[in-house]
Amino acid sequence: MPAPLLAIEHLRVDFPEVVAVNDLCLTVEAGDVCGLIGPNGAGKTTTMRAVSGLQECTRGSVKVAGHELAREPEELKRRLGFMPDFCPVYDQLTASEFLDHFARAYDVPHRMKRIGECLELTWLTEKRGALCEELSRGMKQRLVLAKTLLPDPQVLLLDEPASGLDPLGRIELRKLLLQLREAGKTVLISSHILTELSGFCNKAAIMERGKLVMSGTIAELGQKMGRRRMSVKWRNAGDQALQILKGAGVKNLDTAAQGATFEFDGDADALDGLLKTLVVEGVRVTEWRGSGDDLEQIFLQSGARELM
Amino acid sequence: MNINENPIFLTQKRLVHRTGVLAAVLIAALIGLSLLSGLIAYLTAPASFGFYSPQEAGKVFYAWIIGVEILVLIIGGFSRTSKVLADERKAGLLDSNRLTPLKPSQIVIGYWFGPPLRELYMSAMLAAIGLVIVLLGQLPLMLWLETQVLIASTALFLGLLAVLIGLVVQRPQNSAIIPAVLIILLPLFSFIMPKFMLSNFLLPVFPIVNLFDNGEFADTSSVRDWSGWPEIFGVVISPTLLSLGLQIVIGFFLWRAAVRKTAKPFQAPLLRWEAAVLFGILAFAQQGLMWGIWRGHFPHISDGTHNFSDEAPMLPIVHCATLLLGTIALAFASPQPERVRVEALRTGVGNLPLVFSRSALPFALVLLALGGAALFTQCAAAISSTWTIFAVAAGNLLDFFLIFVLLLEYCRLRFGRRANGFVSLWLFVLCVLPFILAGVFSESAVGRLSLLSPGVLALANSEGSSDYGSADPHSLLLTVLAQFGIAALLFVAWRNQWQRLLAKAVAVPPSK
Repeated sequence: MPAPLLAIEHLRVDFPEVVAVNDLCLTVEAGDVCGLIGPNGAGKTTTMRAVSGLQECTRGSVKVAGHELAREPEELKRRLGFMPDFCPVYDQLTASEFLDHFARAYDVPHRMKRIGECLELTWLTEKRGALCEELSRGMKQRLVLAKTLLPDPQVLLLDEPASGLDPLGRIELRKLLLQLREAGKTVLISSHILTELSGFCNKAAIMERGKLVMSGTIAELGQKMGRRRMSVKWRNAGDQALQILKGAGVKNLDTAAQGATFEFDGDADALDGLLKTLVVEGVRVTEWRGSGDDLEQIFLQSGARELM
Repeated sequence: MNINENPIFLTQKRLVHRTGVLAAVLIAALIGLSLLSGLIAYLTAPASFGFYSPQEAGKVFYAWIIGVEILVLIIGGFSRTSKVLADERKAGLLDSNRLTPLKPSQIVIGYWFGPPLRELYMSAMLAAIGLVIVLLGQLPLMLWLETQVLIASTALFLGLLAVLIGLVVQRPQNSAIIPAVLIILLPLFSFIMPKFMLSNFLLPVFPIVNLFDNGEFADTSSVRDWSGWPEIFGVVISPTLLSLGLQIVIGFFLWRAAVRKTAKPFQAPLLRWEAAVLFGILAFAQQGLMWGIWRGHFPHISDGTHNFSDEAPMLPIVHCATLLLGTIALAFASPQPERVRVEALRTGVGNLPLVFSRSALPFALVLLALGGAALFTQCAAAISSTWTIFAVAAGNLLDFFLIFVLLLEYCRLRFGRRANGFVSLWLFVLCVLPFILAGVFSESAVGRLSLLSPGVLALANSEGSSDYGSADPHSLLLTVLAQFGIAALLFVAWRNQWQRLLAKAVAVPPSK
C-alpha cells in the first residue's frame, strides 16, 4: 500500500489558554478530496497553518509525500500549496504580475504559459491586466487559488476557498476540484458551510474543539452514523409503499405527497432489500436517495454541532 | 540568485515604479540644482556672498546636499522599508512568500533593497549634483567619496534594522514610530562630547562632520570636539573606519537575526550569545572611546593629550545607556511564558531548572559581567582606591537587570497581555517616582532611592565633572544592598508564578 500523500500524526497546537489542535491524526491519499469540517473555532485553520509550517506545532508530525515538515521543510514547500481563508494580494500589481511574482518564486518553467493556464482555470483570463485592488473579493479569492495552483503542487490545502464566491463561482470551484481529484491531486479543504463540500469530497474529517471527532470516506462515515436518513418518491401505489416501509425497520417515517422520508436502521444490504421489495410489489420508484451520505447529515449526527 | 532575478525585489521595484518615481527624482534634482546654482552664483560674483573661499562655499552647499540625502535615504528609506514589511506581514503576503521555495536570505534581500528604491534614486541624483559641487568648490574628491560611502553604509545598516523591525513589530504603525524614536534617541547626546559618544559613530555624525575639518576646527572652541580622530582604549582610529567597522559587525548580527526571523517566525530574532556579543561590543566600544579621559584611573582625569574640561557627566550618561541597552537585550531574551509552557508540554518536564534555562535571569548575569568588565577598564589602574565606586556601579547594574527581568517575566505570567502596562508602572515607581517626590518635597535623599541613582551618583564623582549630586560611595553601597531586597521579593513571586504555570503544563502527558 503506497504511503499517504498527506499524513498528520498526533498533531497538537497550543495557544495561550486553549489547545487549538489536540492529538490530530489524519491521512489523505493521492486523489482524495478530504473535507475538513467543523464549526468556527474547531481548529481547521490552525491545522492547515500547522501543516503548511506557518504555525508552530507543540507536538506531532506532518509528512507530505514522505517528507517530514520538521526535517525537510524545503521539500514540503515544493509539494504543498496553501490557500489561506483571506486573500493576500499586492493591490498595486495586476493579476498577471501577481502570478508572475509567485511563478518566479517557485521557479515555474514556461512561466507565462503556466500563468495563462492558471488564469483560465480560475476564470480570470479577462482580468489578467486588472489591478488586484480592482478585483472583487471573489475574484481575489480565485486569484489566490490560481497562485496556489501555479507550481502544480501534489497536495493542496484550501482554507474556506468558496467563502467569497458567488453561486456561479462555487459551481466552477466544484468543477475545478473534481478536475484536480481526477488529476490525482490530494486536497484538504476546510469549510463550515457543508453544502460547499458536498459533491466533490470523497473523504471527510470532522473536528470539534481541536479534536478529530471522526474521519473516513463519506460512505464509511455514513455507516458509522448507523441510522441513515432516506428519501423515496413514487408514482403509484402509495399506500402499498407505506405499508412496506412501516414493516421494515423504518423509523421516523414522514410522508409527503407521492413520497416519504425515513430513517433506516439496517446495513446497506438491508436497504437494497427494501428497495427490491418495493419494486417487486409494483411500486414505481422515481427517486431513492440516501441523504445520510451527505456531509450535512453526517456532521449533524456526529455530535459536533454544539458550537454551531 | 542575482538581485534582478529576486522576485521580492522585482515586485517591490514594480510597486515603487507604479506609484511613481519621476516626480520624486525631479524634486531631488531641483533641490540639488538650487544648491549648485548658489555655488555657481558665488563663483561668478564672490563679493555678494559671505564666504571666504570657494572651498568654504563648496563645503556649505555640499553639507546641505548631505543633509537632504540623509533625510531622504536614511530616514525616508528606513521608515518605508519597515512599514512595507510590517504591512505585508499583516496582510499575509510575507507568509505567502515564506511558503515558496525562496531562501530566507533571498526574502530578506528583496525587502532590504526593494522598498527604498525611490529614495535611492533621489539620493543618487543628489550625490551626482554633490559631486559637481565638490569639483566646482575645489574640495578633495575623497570628501565626496567618503561621505557617500558613509551615507550608503548607514542606509544599508539601517535598512537591515528596518527589515528586522518590520519582521517583529506587532502593529504596522509601530514600524514607523520605532525608527523615528531610534533616530531621535541615538544622536541625543551627540553634542555633549561628540568624539566620545558611540552613537555618533553608529550613525556616522562624527565622521561626516570630521571630514569637513581641515584643521581649522581645532582653533574654534565651539567645534573643537569635532576635530581629530577618536581613540579606542588609547589606539587612534580613523572615524570613517570606526563607523564602517561598527556598522559591519552589528549589521552582521542584524542580518542573521532577520534571516532567522524570516525562516522561523516563532523564534526570537537573536540567540542569547548573539545578544551578549552585541551588548559586549557596544559596551566595550563605548567605554573604549572614553578610556582616554581617565586611562584606567577614574575618577582622576589623565594628564595625556586630552584637553578634557567638559562638565558633562560622561560616565553616568553611559551607565544609563548601558542600563537601557541591557534592558532592551533582556526584553528580547526574556521568553514568553507560553513558549516555556509549550516546551514543558513537549518534553513533559516542567520544573524550575527548565525555567532557569529559558528565563533571561542567567542572561542578566552575563550582561552584568560584560557591562561590569567594560566599566572596570575605567578604574582598573586605581581599583584599590575606587573599588567602592565600581562595586556600587556594578551592583546597580546587577540590581537593575535582575529586577527588570523578574518584573517582566512575573508580569507576563501574571497579567498576560496587560504585562507591558504593569512593567511600565513598576519601572516608573522604582526609577522615576523617587525623583518626582524628591522634587515635590525638596528632599534629595528620596531621589537616591531610585533604582537608577546609586550607579549614576557613584560615577558622577569624576574630577572634571561638576557636582551632579555625587554622594558617599559607602552609603550608596547600602542603597544597592537594600535594593537587592526588592529583587529577592520579586524572585519569590516570580518562582511561584512559574510553578503554577508549569503545574498545569505537565499535567498533560507528553506525546509518544
